[in-house]
Amino acid sequence: MLARAEAMPTIEPAEWVSPVPIEDATVAIISTAGIHSASDTPFTFGAVDYRVIPGDIDFADVVLSHVSTNFDRSAFQTDPNISFPIDRLREMADAGEIGGVARWHYSFMGAMPDPSRFEDTGTEVGQMLAADGVDVALLIPV
Amino acid sequence: MCSGAVGALSNYIERAGVATTTISLIKEQTEKVGVPRGLWVPFPLGRPLGSATDPEFQKGVMRAAFDLLSTATGPTIADYPHEAPDAEEAGHWACPLNLAPAEDDTSLGGRLSSEVARLKTWAYQTRAERGRTLFGASGAGRDGIDAVTAALAHIAESGDIADPPPGEVEWAFPMPLLIRHLADDLRTVYHEAIAAQPGSVAPNHDALNDWIFGGTALGEALTRVADHLTEAVAEDPVAGLVRGFLIPEGRYKGGSAF
Repeated sequence: MLARAEAMPTIEPAEWVSPVPIEDATVAIISTAGIHSASDTPFTFGAVDYRVIPGDIDFADVVLSHVSTNFDRSAFQTDPNISFPIDRLREMADAGEIGGVARWHYSFMGAMPDPSRFEDTGTEVGQMLAADGVDVALLIPV
Repeated sequence: MCSGAVGALSNYIERAGVATTTISLIKEQTEKVGVPRGLWVPFPLGRPLGSATDPEFQKGVMRAAFDLLSTATGPTIADYPHEAPDAEEAGHWACPLNLAPAEDDTSLGGRLSSEVARLKTWAYQTRAERGRTLFGASGAGRDGIDAVTAALAHIAESGDIADPPPGEVEWAFPMPLLIRHLADDLRTVYHEAIAAQPGSVAPNHDALNDWIFGGTALGEALTRVADHLTEAVAEDPVAGLVRGFLIPEGRYKGGSAF
């Protein structure tokens, strides 16, 4: 995997963003675990598209079609929050640690040797997050 | 490669003015791609928040990631200083279930079917307890364990990696990519079955693969399918990719399946 890191491009940074305090921030999760609703279209080889995950998702409706076999699914099967911590966000919002939980979250499949191929869909998701009033995105790999 | 993916996505999302904070499982990828705020965590792949049984530990990792929003004034990658609680997963683990086949059951398909039949009862217990399952992404639906088992056995025994396996199921993937997801669905059954064993500590990634590729009919079937994919690579390069995604690193003839 180190060799793959060397082959990856460096992405040009965006202008620095100074967020509101986390206690006031609406937070969304961006996962690359390849999760989606059971009725949604599964991810396929080389996918750079994304699935929308509603903030009130029931884990009973979630499947995972990530193509990599180099992480086992047993931890996610035990508790999906280990990759998609929506229950933890709800608890932190209830406790006043964060301002709120976004209505929409997003899932990609991270098996991509050249991550710059996510430019179009990643930019699109950023615009949707901004339009939805999201202040902070928590990005979680698998 | 997921750590590179979230790194790139964090930069693209910040273009819209949304602040990001990004977990990293592979620091080298995060350093190369670059992130506004990254938190490298010392956990295995598949466990980005460290623990599947300790919600407070998960929140501790999230708080450390959120802290970077108020402390970082330029691109930063911090190290999370706490190891995951190690009592919950074992590297040395033995399956408590007896999977020895019935004496008259010697074909690979027969042994796989017999093995899954023994595990299925336990898997359904875990499903009932959790109220959910990851099984079914292949298109077989939540109750399609027998159909998935028969499909994988058919592919292993016939060597046909081009045509969809016979039966009524409308598979969610074309061949040969479907093979990858048949394997994942069956692994879900195996993981769920062992999770139902009373008092047993969960195995980690390596221990799971030691078990599956160290003597189960499933491991034998997957290896045989990988051999069929090898034979097909000259005509269909996708077969080589599917083989790489079918068998974990180090488990195909002692090495990588890519």
